Amino acid sequence: MSGQRNGRLSSLPALRRLTPDRRRTLYAFAAAVLLFLIGALVRPGFIEPSSVKSILVVASFVGFVATGQAFVILIGGIDLSVPWVLNASAILLVTSSLGQDDRAAEAVLLCLGLGLLTGLVNGLGIVFLSVPAVVMTLGMNGIMQGLTLGLSKGFTCHACSSSSPAVVRDAITNNLLGVPADLYVWLGVVLLVTFALGFTTFGRRVYAVGNNERASYLAGVNVRLTTVVLYMLSGLFAAFTGIALVGYGGSPSLGIGDPYLFQSIAAVVIGGMSILGGRGSYLGVVAGSITLVALVSVLQAMNMPDYGRSIVYGVVVLLILLLYGREEREV
Amino acid sequence: MSRPKLGQSVRRSRWSHFTAQNVPSLLALLILIATLVFYAVLFSTSLGRLPGNFELTSTTNNAMPLVFSAVGQTIVFLSRGIDLSVGGMMDISNSLAATRMGGSPGSMVLWSIIILLVGAAGGLINGLLVALGRLQPILVTLATLSIFQGVAIKVLPQPGGKVPTGYTDFLTNPGHPWALIFIGLLVLFWLAFRRTAFGVAIYAVGNDEESARANGIRVVRTRVGAYVVGGMFAAAAGLFLAATTTSGDATAGDSYTLTSIAAAFLGGTTIFGGRGSALGSIAGALVLSILISVLFFAGINQLYEDFYQGLFLVLAVALSALVGYFLRRKK
Amino acid sequence: MTGADGTERSSPIIEAVGVSKSFGAVRALSEASFGAGAGEVHGLVGENGAGKSTLIKILSGVLRPDSGEIRVEGQRVELSSPQAAQALGIRTVFQELTLLPWMTVAENLLIRREPKGFGPLLRRREMSSRAEEMLASLGIENIDPLELVANLPLDQRQIVEIVRTVTREPKILFLDEPTSSLAMREVEWLFGLLNQMRGEGRCIVFTSHRWREVESVADRITIFRDGRHVETHAEIDEDHAVTLMTGRKVETMYPELPPADDEEVALEVRNLGGGSLSDISFSLHKGEILGVGGLEGQGQRDLFLALFGAGEKSEGDILIDGKPARIRNPNDAIRAKLGIALVPEDRKSEGLLLPMSVRDNLTLPVMKLFSAGGVIRSRREMRLVQQMVERLQIRLRGSEQAVATLSGGNQQKVLVGRWLLADSRILLLYDVTRGVDVATKHDIYELMLALISEGRSILFYSSDTEEVAHLSHRVLVMREGRINAELKGSEIDAESIVTAALREEDVPA
Ligand SMILES: Nc1ncnc2c1ncn2[C@@H]1O[C@H](COP(=O)(O)OP(=O)(O)O)[C@@H](O)[C@H]1O
Ligand SMILES: [Mg+2]
Repeated sequence: MSGQRNGRLSSLPALRRLTPDRRRTLYAFAAAVLLFLIGALVRPGFIEPSSVKSILVVASFVGFVATGQAFVILIGGIDLSVPWVLNASAILLVTSSLGQDDRAAEAVLLCLGLGLLTGLVNGLGIVFLSVPAVVMTLGMNGIMQGLTLGLSKGFTCHACSSSSPAVVRDAITNNLLGVPADLYVWLGVVLLVTFALGFTTFGRRVYAVGNNERASYLAGVNVRLTTVVLYMLSGLFAAFTGIALVGYGGSPSLGIGDPYLFQSIAAVVIGGMSILGGRGSYLGVVAGSITLVALVSVLQAMNMPDYGRSIVYGVVVLLILLLYGREEREV
Repeated sequence: MSRPKLGQSVRRSRWSHFTAQNVPSLLALLILIATLVFYAVLFSTSLGRLPGNFELTSTTNNAMPLVFSAVGQTIVFLSRGIDLSVGGMMDISNSLAATRMGGSPGSMVLWSIIILLVGAAGGLINGLLVALGRLQPILVTLATLSIFQGVAIKVLPQPGGKVPTGYTDFLTNPGHPWALIFIGLLVLFWLAFRRTAFGVAIYAVGNDEESARANGIRVVRTRVGAYVVGGMFAAAAGLFLAATTTSGDATAGDSYTLTSIAAAFLGGTTIFGGRGSALGSIAGALVLSILISVLFFAGINQLYEDFYQGLFLVLAVALSALVGYFLRRKK
Repeated sequence: MTGADGTERSSPIIEAVGVSKSFGAVRALSEASFGAGAGEVHGLVGENGAGKSTLIKILSGVLRPDSGEIRVEGQRVELSSPQAAQALGIRTVFQELTLLPWMTVAENLLIRREPKGFGPLLRRREMSSRAEEMLASLGIENIDPLELVANLPLDQRQIVEIVRTVTREPKILFLDEPTSSLAMREVEWLFGLLNQMRGEGRCIVFTSHRWREVESVADRITIFRDGRHVETHAEIDEDHAVTLMTGRKVETMYPELPPADDEEVALEVRNLGGGSLSDISFSLHKGEILGVGGLEGQGQRDLFLALFGAGEKSEGDILIDGKPARIRNPNDAIRAKLGIALVPEDRKSEGLLLPMSVRDNLTLPVMKLFSAGGVIRSRREMRLVQQMVERLQIRLRGSEQAVATLSGGNQQKVLVGRWLLADSRILLLYDVTRGVDVATKHDIYELMLALISEGRSILFYSSDTEEVAHLSHRVLVMREGRINAELKGSEIDAESIVTAALREEDVPA
């Protein structure tokens, strides 16, 4: 694991036998473990179960958003609308449920529907109006931000002071066999997505489109449909994270989605996916999410001030990229 | 020896070539004019007079930071890159100006120069990582964004500080629309820049890196240079931001990352490099700024600002794509 | 080696001696030697993949040789960069154009030598007149210097590339397939230019696929095969040259084509138009190979794409087994009822998913065969893959191997195998032997015969006219998006295809 410092890791015979995708997943997990070890050195309590659990819970939120982001990055796209789709969903949850359990189901469906809808609009714009993904989702982020602020009157509306319905809170924070329910949800998502990408025709098509859109089209893949579906999934996961965050924190706030743009993209890339599409495994993204959150926690444990965390965060991401973000040329 | 000749003389006028090759920029100009007219009409119907000196001054001053950041973004776009660290660089510049600059002319000039050099240094880091580190621009600048934001908070932990009144009067005079002079200078700068070997090289690299190299252009140098100039413009944008707000805030620049991208796109520059013009981006930045005033006079709550900016961006880019499509169809 | 031709002129101005170059496992040049002198036009010929472009890139400083020596005017030199080569007076028109598409013709012609104005500023206004003079001095009047290169047709782009290079005072000029996209008049123009430059004592080396062209302008001809220098001659007849290039006699290159006697029509096209196509009608029979010939770029590509639902088709009908078929996209075409398959020209950009496995590439269009509710049954999939790998004798380490690591021929087999799994009955083969070695070509020919013996039908285009002539029951000759002629039986040979391709008037067969 200390080999992380070595840029020529891939020259080890055992590692060379792995496919680049698997190798990068391994690096990402190694980085996470390394960070936990460093954390333990800084503060002995760092790897106590309770501490690890709370780090993982925070990582799960990054993991959820990054799942959606990974879907679109796999086809060489990007979703910059994540922050405010997430935020809108969080606010919609409390304003539509008013904190009441009997309205919770409807409210959750409404939020997920909102995510799917924004993703649909993103996908349609990209596919049919040929607006570049960066612009389309950037515009959508503004649209959702404006709508959220406007409709909630700057988050001063009457319903805005509601908090999460108890069932939603329980579904995230209750302990089951000593493990927060949220982690089971994450596990479920991980299993589902790993299966979908690895063992279904859908997953095959996603990688195909990401590798070569034209060749996929000429092999009969419906590229447009695939693209739209993936943006819908990204919206879905962003909205879902909004719900989970409200369940976790009790109430939403303005700007809770903002950190997740950087984190979701960073998690995907640290997890070994190519930003150009078509390459990388989903398990790497899981590892990337944990790595990022573990890094923040380590810095907090070191009592690093805010500004220092921000700097170190950026530097570490750059270092990780320099270590293995450049294997791109390898076929 | 007589050689066969090829073809009949077919020539279109310089003007017809110019319009055909600058459709997106001209479209941005048209949108700007339309927005201005719309604004004037709304203004006069609600206030019973045409906009005057005060409106012109405040609109121009508020637009300056976006205009400069958009020009920087455009130069990076043209080299087939993207700079997400613009907001962070503006934060640094803004914080430095608010904390370090003294009231004497000497101090103002000195610190302006230092801050521009800081911008160049930030751009140099971005450029080296992109061009020599072979990393994707979007990832590099996402990481440096975090770093720059951290540095800014270190410089100015709490919002505050003070920009000398003389500086505000010089850059963004609250009484007169003198800032228009800077827009004029920017236009001149651009016309000259396009006519330098470096300007040509940026376009060439953005067109096709391999071909540019084959033509003897130093690709690495050019790409790094684009980020350096981009960083300097971001720093200049931060100075204008400090001047208009007259005090400092280490997060005030953050929103400009996305709006500078939006303005460049509105101006018809693509992220695929080699096509577009900073003149279009200036128009795009002005449109986005004036839009805010339009909303105000249309009686729309300013909370919806982002909504309309986002919508406008998507529609304008889609429109530009459609116009391009029909022009090509017509041929 | 270089001296083996007996027509040795003055000592060569540029020389490669025993140069080798490998790309991974592919040996592009092995111990190749070559020499050309001042005041000569030297033709360099060989099949696709013979190593011509690689040699030219090495002599232009773009690639470094693995071993061997380069001499210019008798002096050993290190061409470590394109700049180093340019300093010695070497100029090159590469096979892949190096123009900047979104810049004007003038900007392209004058890049890095723009007229200087005040201070660091360049004089953009003056550029168009400079470019105009440049073009006019070479007798070109139909290219507008203010036009964007992206808006020029392919032949004019090629001409701009040539002009940019020859106006930079070459001592040694390389042209890699400069004529492949030029029309006849433009070829004449180029050769006039080459003749003039020879008179000025410059050294010119060019490659071409068209034998007649090489023969008409070259003083000497060097033949390459499999990365080696074979022979250099001043006089050589075509048959002999082809034998040297392919390493076998023409007669043994191609397998015997069995007669096609099934009268049943598999595919019928009526008055197809749209894009570059107009009024195309023909029918393809069961068990038949229908060749498509003509000069390059006469709409053949659009025809293949249109039949596969991937091109522009605005009018006309396509009938499969006598029934009108609606083909809006490739997915429609592939579906079992229609059973159409396209093997596209550029297997790297249009055919294969290079980093993905052989398995993924083989089964992408046919995942229905082994999935239920979208879930892949791996075992069933592996069985299908195994069968196909064995049937086509695709050489690989395992089905998980990335298709990028296969040789060109095996990659092509994967693409054909895909459609055999789909049980396609109509195969559109578009230039499938381009860049494939002789042995694999042979395999592909045999495979085509096996396919038609199963009752499948093939529409076959190749940029190699010989190939079309030898492997087709009938040949449609295309010109400017129309079918200019239909040849059958004993009428078919390379010569008659070329004649029909050049004929101006419409001659319905
Ligand atoms: N960049 C490259 N990477 C891998 N293989 C290459 C590369 N360039 C050429 N080759 C291979 O080298 C051989 C010679 O190619 P080339 O010189 O282009 O032949 P020619 O120009 O005679 O058609 C071919 O087998 C080709 O596939
Ligand atoms: Mg070649």
